[in-house]
Amino acid sequence: MSPIETPRSAQAGTVESMDCLVTVTASGGGRRVEISGGGTSRFRDVMEKKINQVLDGLGERENVTISVQDNGAVDLVLGARVEAAYLRFREAIGE
Amino acid sequence: MALNAVKRDIPSYIEGYGKTEEKLFAGAFARKPEGFSAGKRLRSRTPNDSTKFLGSIKEAIAASGIKSGMTISFHHHLRNGDFIVNQVLDECARAGIRDLTIFPTALFGVHKAVIPHIQNGVVRRIMGSVNGPIGQLVSEGGVEIPVVLRSHGGRPRAVIAGDVRIDVAFIAAPTADIGGNISGRAGKSACGALGYAFTDAEYANCVVALTDNLQHYPIAPISIPGIYVDFVVQVGSIGDPSGIVSGTTRVTRDPLRLLIARHASKLIEASPYFQDGLSFQTGAGGIPLAVTAFMKEAMKRRRVRGGFGLGGITGYFVDLLKEGLLKKLMDVQSFDQEAIESISSDPRHIEISADWYANPWNSGAAVNQLDVVILGATEVDMDFNANVNTEADGALLHGIGGHQDTAAGAKLTIIAQPLLRGRIPCVVDRVHTVTTPGEVIDAIVTEFGVTINPRRQNLIDACKETKGKDSVPLVPIDELAMRAKRMSGLMAPIRQADRVVGVVEWRDGTVIDVVRQIFPENISS
Repeated sequence: MSPIETPRSAQAGTVESMDCLVTVTASGGGRRVEISGGGTSRFRDVMEKKINQVLDGLGERENVTISVQDNGAVDLVLGARVEAAYLRFREAIGE
Repeated sequence: MALNAVKRDIPSYIEGYGKTEEKLFAGAFARKPEGFSAGKRLRSRTPNDSTKFLGSIKEAIAASGIKSGMTISFHHHLRNGDFIVNQVLDECARAGIRDLTIFPTALFGVHKAVIPHIQNGVVRRIMGSVNGPIGQLVSEGGVEIPVVLRSHGGRPRAVIAGDVRIDVAFIAAPTADIGGNISGRAGKSACGALGYAFTDAEYANCVVALTDNLQHYPIAPISIPGIYVDFVVQVGSIGDPSGIVSGTTRVTRDPLRLLIARHASKLIEASPYFQDGLSFQTGAGGIPLAVTAFMKEAMKRRRVRGGFGLGGITGYFVDLLKEGLLKKLMDVQSFDQEAIESISSDPRHIEISADWYANPWNSGAAVNQLDVVILGATEVDMDFNANVNTEADGALLHGIGGHQDTAAGAKLTIIAQPLLRGRIPCVVDRVHTVTTPGEVIDAIVTEFGVTINPRRQNLIDACKETKGKDSVPLVPIDELAMRAKRMSGLMAPIRQADRVVGVVEWRDGTVIDVVRQIFPENISS
């Protein structure tokens, strides 16, 4: 029997209105940020800035892909979801 | 380019629309009509003429004389259940007819089947509201000629004034007789009022009624008399009842929206219009229905008896009528089963045409008698201008409806809306598209309170007099816009081209704004 595979991703958030669903997965090289849905037409730049700010603050070293399915989350919510998803990811990979 | 009265730069010539110099919006009541109303083809019938009855849409298309390049009209009383628009266009395509202008009172999701007809050249132009996939197509430049948007009152005005000539009107008729008399009250596809169909029947050069409930002559009661109707076509089904009658719209249970409704209700109660005879229109949205519920409570508590309820009628308004809190209902469009049953059985529930409801160019539309209207908007700005047509990304996805007409007519026009929809602010420095000018909008109500247009000092005074649990929290417009900005963050500008894809007419036929082509969003980052 093969050992249980180490989970390679973690999530936080919901797809409710004014929230977002954030998924963090390991990536080969370089941090990747993917955003889709709700606020992207007018807020893509500020969302990217917020996400990078939170990840930098947590000491993330450009090893993850972060995918945000947005449903109109304001920065406060977006930041909290990114933080939670990233911390869960670290926990899952045993750091 | 020239600035109109709401400071919008309007091109002096719009390809596919025409010159605008004489038609710049100049103020809500600035443009006055001259001359006489438009005419239509004279016709006669003798007792020996063949019957009006035809067995299929195909025969009707041949009999009506539709040719390529003509204008054909439809009403939207069957809403998302309508079978007629798609079927008529399919038959036109089969008959080799092209370059049609379609002039619907509104289109719904079910009409996405029109898109292939746009792409294959059967439909060349749309005059009327666009939404969903058709709206997206128009916004991204997929229709060559700009869409012209008119309000519920502006549309009959355009027909009566001769701005638009209808060659053939196709009228879906839930009940009809062999003489062409029509009613929406009975039949398996009953829709109640047929308000939007009247002007088309009266002014089209040819009128075709399509029914799935053919009765002996004459039916009673009659909405549109057969003197206007040239052909009666029997079809299997004109619509899907589940799409015609929306499930009963519910009062919102969202605490934020209930709070907004509570603020709006308090404002109405504090206003000088809250007295016996009060007339109002609230439509079918979640917040307006909640306002209706709160007003009902306030009317009972203060023993105020209302006058009439107007517009699209729901079961909530029918209850107010039954309980004696309103004396009459004036119904242009019956939204639900309760409304359809009421208009069919209660003579106090009056069917009115769109002309009667909202046209600025007649001898007095019903909106002029309105005290209070509760409306929504995708955004409002520091000048109190409201946008109901375009979304945050600039896509043209909504019609005007009765927004302009009721705002212009009512003594107290309230926009009730949360400050943010998702992350998108509803109060901004400058709306992307002006649908309704701030001069006819009196108050914006959000979860933060009531924001009164400075032009309405009497309302500000009335609100300041309120005390205790009835007190109305006032918020200035600049504070509201600042709060929205703080919560949402900095918005990037909309990426748009110069090309005009939509013309928004004010109800008097002047150009209040234009909508420009947008670029579909680039997903990768």
